[in-house]
Amino acid sequence: MVKPTILVIEDEEAICNFITAILNSNGYQVIKTGTGKEGLSMAASYSPDVILLDLGLPDVDGVEILKSIREWSKIPVVVVSARGHEREKVEALDLGADDYIVKPFGTSELLARIRTALRHSPQSMGAQAQGEKTMTIGELRIDYEKRSVFLGGKAVHLTPVEYKILALLSKNAGKVLTHDYIMKEIWGLYAGDSHTLRVNMANIRRKLELNPGSPKYILTEMGVGYRMVEELEI
Amino acid sequence: MNELDGRPDPNALLADIQTQQDNHSGKLKIFFGYAAGVGKTYAMLDDAQEQYRMGKDVLVGYVEPHTRPETLQLLQGLPSLAPKSVFYRNIELKEFDLDTALSRRPELILVDELAHTNAEGVRNRKRFQDIEELLNAGIDVYTTVNVQHIESLNDVIEGITGVRVKETVPDSIFDRAEKIKLIDIEPDELLRRFEDGKIYKPERAQTAMNNFFTRENLKLLREIAMRKATDRISNENQNERRTTEKMANTKMLVCIGPSPSSAKCIRWTARAAEAFHAQWVALYVESADSEHLTLQQQKILRENMDLAEKLGAEIVSIAGHEIAISVSEYAKLSGITNIVVGKSRNKKTLKNLFDMDFEDKLISLLPSIEVHIIPGATARRDYKKPRKTIWKSKVDFSWADCAKTAILLVAATLVSLGLRMVGIGNQNIIMTYILSVLVVSRITKGHIFGIIASVASVLSFNFFFTEPMYTFNAIQAGYPITFLIMLVVALITSTLTVRIKTQAKLAVQRERRTEVLYEINKKLLVNRGLENIISLTNAYIVNLFERSVVFFPSDPEAGIEGSVMQADKDADEAVLNSKDEKAVAHWVFVNQKRAGAGTDTLMGAVGFYMPVTSQGKVLAVLGISCTKGPLSHGTRQFLRMIASQVAMALERQHLSDEQRNILVDAEKEKMRSNLLRAIAHDLRTPLAGILGASSAIRENTKTLDEGTRDKLNADIQEEAQWLIRMVENLLSVTRINEGESKVNKNPEAAEEVVAEAVSRIRKRFPNHRVEVSVPDELLEVPMDGTLIAQVLINLLENAVKHSPETSPVEVKLRKNGDSAVFEVSDHGKGIAEEDFPYLFTSYVPNGTKSPDSSRGMGIGLSICMTIIKAHNGTMEAANRKEGGAVFKFTLPLEGSE
Repeated sequence: MVKPTILVIEDEEAICNFITAILNSNGYQVIKTGTGKEGLSMAASYSPDVILLDLGLPDVDGVEILKSIREWSKIPVVVVSARGHEREKVEALDLGADDYIVKPFGTSELLARIRTALRHSPQSMGAQAQGEKTMTIGELRIDYEKRSVFLGGKAVHLTPVEYKILALLSKNAGKVLTHDYIMKEIWGLYAGDSHTLRVNMANIRRKLELNPGSPKYILTEMGVGYRMVEELEI
Repeated sequence: MNELDGRPDPNALLADIQTQQDNHSGKLKIFFGYAAGVGKTYAMLDDAQEQYRMGKDVLVGYVEPHTRPETLQLLQGLPSLAPKSVFYRNIELKEFDLDTALSRRPELILVDELAHTNAEGVRNRKRFQDIEELLNAGIDVYTTVNVQHIESLNDVIEGITGVRVKETVPDSIFDRAEKIKLIDIEPDELLRRFEDGKIYKPERAQTAMNNFFTRENLKLLREIAMRKATDRISNENQNERRTTEKMANTKMLVCIGPSPSSAKCIRWTARAAEAFHAQWVALYVESADSEHLTLQQQKILRENMDLAEKLGAEIVSIAGHEIAISVSEYAKLSGITNIVVGKSRNKKTLKNLFDMDFEDKLISLLPSIEVHIIPGATARRDYKKPRKTIWKSKVDFSWADCAKTAILLVAATLVSLGLRMVGIGNQNIIMTYILSVLVVSRITKGHIFGIIASVASVLSFNFFFTEPMYTFNAIQAGYPITFLIMLVVALITSTLTVRIKTQAKLAVQRERRTEVLYEINKKLLVNRGLENIISLTNAYIVNLFERSVVFFPSDPEAGIEGSVMQADKDADEAVLNSKDEKAVAHWVFVNQKRAGAGTDTLMGAVGFYMPVTSQGKVLAVLGISCTKGPLSHGTRQFLRMIASQVAMALERQHLSDEQRNILVDAEKEKMRSNLLRAIAHDLRTPLAGILGASSAIRENTKTLDEGTRDKLNADIQEEAQWLIRMVENLLSVTRINEGESKVNKNPEAAEEVVAEAVSRIRKRFPNHRVEVSVPDELLEVPMDGTLIAQVLINLLENAVKHSPETSPVEVKLRKNGDSAVFEVSDHGKGIAEEDFPYLFTSYVPNGTKSPDSSRGMGIGLSICMTIIKAHNGTMEAANRKEGGAVFKFTLPLEGSE
C-alpha cells in the first residue's frame, strides 16, 4: 500500500520535528516546510493526501494559504491553532478547512484527526458507495433509507429537524462542523442566530446520551461547533 | 524710551510661536491702497497667479466684478468659487460663499473688499468676520482694502473729503495681517485713469469725481495711507507688537456720552493711545438722567461703547451726579495722565453764563492732568441735561405725596397758630414754615411737591400771620424775600434729596451685583461635579436677569444637549435646544467669539451666546434668551464676569477628575504588578522540575532504567500540563477588557460548557472518576464560554489534585431562580481554616507555608474569581459535612445589557 503523504506547514522547529516523528512512525510519509509560500508550491508539486497547516505562519496568514489551496484543490486540510483563538478556527473551517487541532496537542489526538481527514478526502469518498445505507457508532445505529434511529436496539423518536442534524453529523463523523455550517445546511442561508440550533442539540443529547452533561456521541467544540465521534471512547 | 523695560519676554515669545503653530492660523496679506482704482485687485491677482504657478492650491473666493479688462484677464486660469445667491427683498445678491470655502480648504484664497458688509441672511454681518473664520481654519487669505475703511481713520478721512464712509474695518484685523502691501500710484495718474473711465462706469463718474476724486483729497489720502503703512513698519522694527507691557507713564481717558461727537473723541483717543503706546479708558458717567435717555440716545451710547471696546479701550462706568467731579475722582484713583473731552458749541443761556465750562471745571479739579479738547461738529449739548426728558419726570403725580404735603402744611399752620397764642414772634413762625417745606421736600418724590409746599406756606403765612390778618395782601417789604428764600430752600432740599435717592439706588444696584458675584464665587468653590456647577450657574443667571438660559458643557455638535433653565414667560427647552440654536452655539465654541442676538454674527438667533474660556481654550458655551430684548452693555459685562468664574470652576473640576483618573490608573498598575509577581513566583517551580527531569534523562541515559526514565518523562509531562493550564488562565484574564471588567457574553448552553471542561479533565486524568449532573431543561446562560470552561477546569483540577483517585469528583449544574448555579465538590481533605480568607486572592502567604503546598490553589482561584465577577456572578467555597470541599459559583441568567 502506498504510504499517504502528509504536508506539514509549520514554522516552529520543535513542533515540526515531533509531528514528523509521530507521523513517520505511524506509517505516513511526511514533507515539511516552514513558510506559507513554500507550502503552496509544495502542495502543488507533491499533491499530498493531507495538509497540516499552522495558522500562525511568519510570512503569510494561514487563512490566505487555505483560500489559495481551496481555489484549485479539495485536499483535506487540518489547521493547527492556539487555544483561545476561536474566531480564527471558525473562519478557517468556514473557508474550507476540514478539521482543526489545538496546540498543545497529544499524539493520539493528532493521529485521530489525520485519520478522519483521510477518510473524508475526495478519493476515499469516491471509493465508498454514494448511498451509505446505515451508520453504526457504538450503540447508535442510523438507517438513512428508513430515516430511523436506534440506540441499543430501541427506537429513538426524533423530530424531522433533529433527524436532519443527526444525519448531517453522522455523515461527517469525526469532522467538526461549525454552527454556521449546520444552520446553513438545515435551515438555509438566513437562519439567524444559533439559539434554535442549541435547543435542538440539547434535545438530541437528552434523547441519545445517558448523561447529557457527559456526552459520548456528539461532542461540543466550544465556540466552534459540534462533532460526532467515529468510535466510542471507553 | 527705556529699552530694558520694553524687551519682550522670551518665554512669552516662545509661547506665542507655539500657539501660532498649534492653532495653525492662516496668514493674511492685505493689498492696501488709498483710493479705488490704484490697482489693488490687479496686484492681488498678479501675486496669486505667481503662487499658482509655483504650485500652491489657490482659490478665488470672491472678486468684485471689475470692468477693467486687464484685471479680468488675470482671473483666467485660477480656480474660482461660485458666489452664493442671497435673496433680499426680491433682489438677488451675490455674496461670498464662506461655508463652501471652508469645506473646500484651499491653501490660499482671494477675497476682495475687506470692508464689505454682507447681505442679510448671511452668517456674519461683515466680510472681515468671514475672513477671520478662514484664517482660523488655517487658510491663507489675500484681500484688498482702502484706507478710508480703517476704523480709527474714519473720521479723519471724513474731515478731509467730506464723505462719511459707512463700511469700516476694525484696526485689529489690519494689525493681524502678516503682510501689508501698499499699492501706490501718483494722484495725477489715478485721475487720468478715472477720466479714461477705467475705474467707475462713465455714468457715475461725474458725481464720484466731484465728491471724492479731487487732487487735494487724493494727495491727503495718499499721505494717510503711507503713514499707516510706515507706522506698521516701525512697529515691526521695534518689535513693539510683541510687548505685552505698555508704557506705565501715560494713561488716557475719554468721556463718552450718548452723542455722536463722542465717537470722534473715541477714535482720536484710540490713535493717540496707539502713538503713545498707552492704555486708555473709556468712561461713562451714569447719572440720574441716564434713566431718562431717549431710545435713540441709548442706541448711540451703546454704539459708542462698542466702538471704544473694538478699538481697544477699557470700558468703565461709574455713577455720579456731577460729571466733572466724578470724572476727576476716577482720574485721580486710576492714575490717568491725559483726558480727552469733546467741545460742543453751546448756546449761551442765562444759566450757562454762570456755569464754568466742563473743561474748565476739570482743569480746576485736576491741575496736573492734560486735557485734550476735540471740537465736535454738532451743536448738541453733551453734558447738559436734555430738557425734554427732565420735565416729564417731574410731573409724576402721587396721591400719597399730596396727602403728606397737605398734612405737613396743616400741621405747620397749627403749630404756628399755637406759637402765636403763646406769644412767640413771627420769626419763629417763618422758621416753622421753612422747616415744614424742608420736611416735605425730604419725604416726597421729585421737586414739585417741595415747590407747592413753599408756595402754600408763603400763602398761608401771608393769610394767617401777616397784617392784615386773613387776607392775601403782603404789606411788609420783607415778605417777597421770605417767599423767595422759602422757594429756594424747597428747591435745594428737593434737588439734594433726588440726587441722594438716585445715587443710593445706583449704589444699591452695584452692591447687589458685587454681592451676587461673591456669592456665585463662594458657591462655585464649594460645589463639586459638573452637574452642580451647571445648575448653579443657570439658577443664578435666571434669577438675576429673568431670562432663560442654556449651558453647553461641550461642543454642541457632539450631540450633548445643553442644560436649560427656563425663566418665567421666556423661551423654553425646545427652543433653546433646537438644531438652529445648537448651530450658533457650535459656531461660538469653534470660533471663541460671541454670537447671536445683538451681535454681528448670526443675529437671527433666539439667544445670545458667549464662550466660557480659560487659557485660550473654550470650556463651555453659555446662551441667554433675548426674546425680551437685546442685552444691555452692563448686563454683558456682568455676564463676562460670571463666565470667568464659571471657567475657573470648570477647570478645577476637570483637574480633580484627572487626578482621580490618575489615582485609579496607579491602583491598576499596582494590581497588575502584584499579579505578575505572583505568577512569576508560581512558574518557577514547574520549570525547575522540567529542567531537572530532562537533564537527568539526557545526562544519565546509560544508568537509568526503563521505569525511572518513564517516571521522569511522566513528570515532565505533568509539569508541562500544569504550565499550560497556568498560561491558559493568564490568557483568559487578558480576554477581560482592561479596567472595565466586561466580558463578551453570548448565550451558551451551560451543559455544553460543563461537558467541554469535563472532557478536558478526563483527558488529563483518565483514571479519576468525574460525575456530571445537569438539569432536564436546557439552561442557556449568557457567558463567555471559554472563560467559564476555564473556571470549571481550574476547579475540577483542584478537586482532582486534592482528593484520592478512588473518590469521585462531582459537577452539578442547576437553575436557582434567576441564576445558574455550578457546583464542584470532592471528597478530599477539604480546605484548611487559615486558608479561607486568602482563598480567592492572589496573595501568596509569605514564609508560613512553602510555595509548593499552596501551588494549585493560589493564582488559579483568584483568576476564577475575577472571571466570575466580570460576569456579575458570585463564587464561594465551603467544607462539606461529609468531608471534602465544595466550590460553588453562580451566573445571572438574564443578559445584563
